[in-house]
Amino acid sequence: MFLALKEIKHAKFRYALITVMIMMISYLVFILMGMMLGLANENKAAINSWGTSTVFLNKNANGNLSASMLTKDQLPSRLNKHEALVGQVPVVVTRVGSQHKLKENAQVIGLDRQQFIAKEKIALTAGHQAKETHQVVVDEGLRAKGYRLGDRIRLNSSEQKYQIVGFTKDAKLNVAPVIYTTLTSWQQLKGVNNRVVASGVVTDRTEPASRFDQLSRYTAATFIQKLPGYTAQNNTFTFMIAFLMVISLVIIAVFLYILTMQKMNNYAVLRAQGIPAKHLVGATLAQAVILMLAGVIGGIIFTWITQLVLPTTVPILMNWPIIAGISLVLIILGMLGALLPVRMILKIDPVKALNN
Amino acid sequence: MTAIKLTNIDKYFGTGLSRVEVLTNVSFTADLGELSLILGPSGSGKSTLLTIMGGLQTPDQGEVLIDQQNLTKLSPKQRDQLRLNKIGFVLQSYNLLPYLNVRDQFKLVDRVKGKGNLPQAELDHLLTELGIDRLLNQYPGELSGGQNQRVAIARALYTDPQIILADEPTAALDSNRVKVVGQLLKQMAQDHHKAVIVVTHDLRLREFADHTYQLMDGHLTREA
Ligand SMILES: Nc1ncnc2c1ncn2[C@@H]1O[C@H](COP(=O)(O)OP(=O)(O)O)[C@@H](O)[C@H]1O
Ligand SMILES: [Mg+2]
Repeated sequence: MFLALKEIKHAKFRYALITVMIMMISYLVFILMGMMLGLANENKAAINSWGTSTVFLNKNANGNLSASMLTKDQLPSRLNKHEALVGQVPVVVTRVGSQHKLKENAQVIGLDRQQFIAKEKIALTAGHQAKETHQVVVDEGLRAKGYRLGDRIRLNSSEQKYQIVGFTKDAKLNVAPVIYTTLTSWQQLKGVNNRVVASGVVTDRTEPASRFDQLSRYTAATFIQKLPGYTAQNNTFTFMIAFLMVISLVIIAVFLYILTMQKMNNYAVLRAQGIPAKHLVGATLAQAVILMLAGVIGGIIFTWITQLVLPTTVPILMNWPIIAGISLVLIILGMLGALLPVRMILKIDPVKALNN
Repeated sequence: MTAIKLTNIDKYFGTGLSRVEVLTNVSFTADLGELSLILGPSGSGKSTLLTIMGGLQTPDQGEVLIDQQNLTKLSPKQRDQLRLNKIGFVLQSYNLLPYLNVRDQFKLVDRVKGKGNLPQAELDHLLTELGIDRLLNQYPGELSGGQNQRVAIARALYTDPQIILADEPTAALDSNRVKVVGQLLKQMAQDHHKAVIVVTHDLRLREFADHTYQLMDGHLTREA
């Protein structure tokens, strides 16, 4: 520690530069992580909020809820209280009679108001549950976009007007706010006849495939994996994050390697004088940890500030336990990066001290 | 009193046709309080001999005794320990870490070797004697070549070793400086009661030596 700190103190500028670099990389890692979690959440929040355990879809739908259509004859005559019909259709929302043209992409979810999702799972943050056919409860996201309780909205170009009577949170699907309506409204918006009753069946307890033998069964996890773009998006983020972490390892390795190279003659003399190699190795490892720690703490501070100033509409979700975990991994990577210079130090031949 | 004793040392490098015999049947003794000077042209094996005395290399034949300990029989760790406690090196260059000021060069030694270093009063005295007592806050890069070499000598003496091994300590110095360093080395032997062994091709150091040796074609001979 003595040597590590003395050297940093003597060459503040170089160490500061590397720390800033590590800080920027860790900041980028944290922000990407936040975006990944935020977008993932906007893809699936609604599904999670229903307490989804299994999903049953048309066999040809390939796990895609909005591509699935269920007819009455594919279902048992009665559903139990853990099962709910769900109809999904993407729409464009327009506010009626507003000066400013408010237009938003949204996902309509049609529900049977007697089934568990509508009855139990839609937690309101404002207003009341829908009582009449054309009343809707919508995601908070629309409030942030300027929609208010009592606003009348049009879905797609239909003549039918709907009224917003309640807001709910965590109602996001495929990165769009959800509008909860009835299955009848869903049928109209989807343009299907009465024979088609829903897109799928969602259950909040695990049900066997045999329960709906004409349908395909998905666990909540596989259903989410199959959300359009979800897996690809996560993979992209994961790749970027992993690559940045490797870059930080390389930066530390190259930096400490160059510094160690410059000190080899001095280290040979120290070894000749009987200073144990572990003392010199300790200094290098300590520097790797100090650099990483300082950089990561800086990155966390900037991430925290970013979260404070970001508007809530930006889909970034800071998960501090995960950030702490990544920080730990970065510090460990820093120590791995130090292994190259450590190896050089261990291989120093003190005889070289006399043959310069 | 004998500080170090080498008997019948052989050292060669390489094998077969490329085998070079650097030291042949070298025997040598140095006593506390004396300065031994080993002269030889470049490539004659002076540094090799010094590394063998310091336990940095093992000879192919013969033995090295310091305090009844045979260096060739010690483990690398034990040899580190022995160098730290009993030997001080003064080398041509890189004696001082560039990022430690003079004071911290000594502190580093304290970190590694907690006991047996010079007490503060003696260190202060030594620094004054060497004329470097005002340089404690300076970094090696801020010192002249001569000042650097004097700090290196103080650093070597700080662990209070019985043997000082110096490899070309005057290589980078002008004639006046050579005199000063020669004087210092002699002082180290006489006043501080060390066995000082200097290998060099610098004949100007001859006048300070108690004993002078010639190293030539692998053979060490003592001058009358
Ligand atoms: N590790 C080694 N491998 C091969 N040859 C060496 C090695 N070390 C020294 N030598 C050779 O031994 C001879 C003596 O080297 P050295 O002891 O450094 O001489 P000096 O210090 O007197 O200039 C030289 O010819 C040198 O090339
Ligand atoms: Mg030499």
